[in-house]
Amino acid sequence: MSIMKLLSIAARAKVVTRRYPFEPPVVTEGFRGKIEVDPKLCWGCGVCTRICPPNALTLKKREDGTLVLSYFMGRCIFCGMCAEVCPRGAITVTKEFELASLTAEDLVRNVKHDVVRCRICGRVIGPAVEMREATKSVGGAEAKYYDLCPECRKLVVARGIMTKVGVRP
Amino acid sequence: MGEQSKYLPECPEMGEVVRKLTEEYGGHVIFSRESEVYVEVPRHELRDVAKYLYSSGAFLKTCAAVDERPLNRSFALYHIFGMDSKGYDVIVKVSAPEDDAWVPSIVDVVPAADWCELEARDMVGIELKGRRLVRRLVLPEDWPEDIHPLRKEVPHDFRPPSVKAESEFRPPERGIPIGPYHPVLHEPEYFELLVEGETVVDVYYRGFHVHRGIEKLGESPRFTYQKIPFLAERICGICGFVHSTCAIMAMEKAAGLRPPERAEFIRTIVLELERIHSHLLWVGVAAHVLGYDAGFMHTWRVREPVMILSELITGSRKTYGLNLVGGVRRDIDKNKMEKIMKTLDRVEKEFKELANLLVSVPQIRRRAQGTGVLTRSEARALSVVGPVARASGLYRDVRKDYPYLAYEEASFKVPLYTEGDNLARVLVRVEEVFESISIIRQLLDKLPGGPIMHEKCSAIIPVDELIPPGKYAVAAIEAPRGEDVHFLMTGEGRPYRWRVRAPTYQNIPALRPMLRGDPLADAPLTIASIDPCFSCTDRALVIDVRTGRARTIKLWDGGVGTCRL
Repeated sequence: MSIMKLLSIAARAKVVTRRYPFEPPVVTEGFRGKIEVDPKLCWGCGVCTRICPPNALTLKKREDGTLVLSYFMGRCIFCGMCAEVCPRGAITVTKEFELASLTAEDLVRNVKHDVVRCRICGRVIGPAVEMREATKSVGGAEAKYYDLCPECRKLVVARGIMTKVGVRP
Repeated sequence: MGEQSKYLPECPEMGEVVRKLTEEYGGHVIFSRESEVYVEVPRHELRDVAKYLYSSGAFLKTCAAVDERPLNRSFALYHIFGMDSKGYDVIVKVSAPEDDAWVPSIVDVVPAADWCELEARDMVGIELKGRRLVRRLVLPEDWPEDIHPLRKEVPHDFRPPSVKAESEFRPPERGIPIGPYHPVLHEPEYFELLVEGETVVDVYYRGFHVHRGIEKLGESPRFTYQKIPFLAERICGICGFVHSTCAIMAMEKAAGLRPPERAEFIRTIVLELERIHSHLLWVGVAAHVLGYDAGFMHTWRVREPVMILSELITGSRKTYGLNLVGGVRRDIDKNKMEKIMKTLDRVEKEFKELANLLVSVPQIRRRAQGTGVLTRSEARALSVVGPVARASGLYRDVRKDYPYLAYEEASFKVPLYTEGDNLARVLVRVEEVFESISIIRQLLDKLPGGPIMHEKCSAIIPVDELIPPGKYAVAAIEAPRGEDVHFLMTGEGRPYRWRVRAPTYQNIPALRPMLRGDPLADAPLTIASIDPCFSCTDRALVIDVRTGRARTIKLWDGGVGTCRL
């Protein structure tokens, strides 16, 4: 008897298996896939690397003086926290999930940033875009200090004050 | 800890227990909250205290060993007793000075303490006095003797040098080995069934092959409170949301903040969705184990819409990533509500038909009825949890005993069977699917408005400042497999100690009474009937199950690493 019941259930259900990959997969509107970083919007501030639970996003200093925001899909858990915290809205969560590849390098996306160095000591202060954008709102007297690292800036300002009040540095 | 007696008068029975512990056993209250009280007792009184609590109806949830040497030069063991019928936890702390690190074993008084005591010995190196069987539970055989991973001086990324195995595996003389890698087990675990003829006479178990050190990782500088929910979610591939919610509930308790009502409702709805898909998965696997693959495939077909729905609501089929301290990340809007209702109607209709069919198949009925019996008293002694307890006539359900999130807003019944056999465990789970569907409907109907995130929290604000160091919290959730417990001791910016006790951890020891005396052919179904989740269980430690019998057989020379069920 139970066989007949099962057959009637099966007849109603018909074939449910999709002919993936020849048919598109079921992906709902809520799905979170890999992320994309827009290099035009990214400032290289690195907030996303701090929130990323599996450390899939990292900020690396290269020897050639560039700063690289590196996204490794192999570690990504597709939580989308980076997109939530990005102050520039540079990160978008896509619906892409077919990421299989034969080489690990295919799973890496890098965003390169030039850096600004301190005009006096040569130390890296930060990513060039971030510095440029941030200094747009800085005018007047402060503008001449923007390419200095915090230590050199302190020295320069202190020297300026001392010269003004007539004390020899 | 000035709040120590603030809540005591609200719960008179709790006051009575505390009075008894402090006046008769020389204990003192170190911390308390509405439904938890932490009492430190001198270690020579621990056995009497355990006896008193156990005889007054407490279940042992688990125990957690903590290396407190950086704080007070001693080790500590926290036994978490749950007063199910009263709805509060009594956490009994015993300390052992670092140069004299032992605590009395309570295994002969409280059999359920077996595994967690061995885990404490393995991971923190606390010796257990008065225990007959002392073995490694969690650590592998070749792990160095003097290294206890949860001690603070051991780095979280420590790897011992590889050693050559001193002993070789010897096939048992009359045992049937199953695992660690075996077609009927979906995760690595080792069972050895000792048989006489066709009848199973004893069972040995060795687990923790997939121990990943998640608790240690949670304490490491690699993690913060903000990231731990995502780590906790990966403890289990089926009930991940339970773990992330439970870890977050513990953190929120420690921070003293309550998420907005709407967030609590959404968490509850997703928890129940998870129960539906987990039970459907299990019913399918049970059919598969019985050789009824048509039943397996149709159950999983019915389950699929629930997975798609989970993805729609949370963003992922599993490991939802929905939870943050203080609330949830995604709201449920009108459109999603309609889709949930539609899916539930469909699943309810199809599963009703299928479940009726499954339990009426004579072959299934005959193999499930009367096999793998766990009596009520055995279930009580081992403090088993979830559907396994409820199929043995033990009325235990965290949702009713310690109401959390929005469960008080929904009316539902807890299925209870007294047979204790495999069929009862099937029926409990089948009925729970329909109860869960009804809970979600009721909650969607009542879903309150308002924000989904606490005003003090968001993805961008680090929550570390909200959770002060030196706080304790115990959170429990009714996972599909039973009660899941998270014990948290807060530290600077991250947990000082985070202890996870998954439901299967409590249920595996029950396999021994279930399997003994049954035909060998029924063993796969009985093992599957507790819905074992080895990854959950293995997240950290070692176990030993007490037996009244003197006979011991070692699987390996030296005997370390073998556990008797």
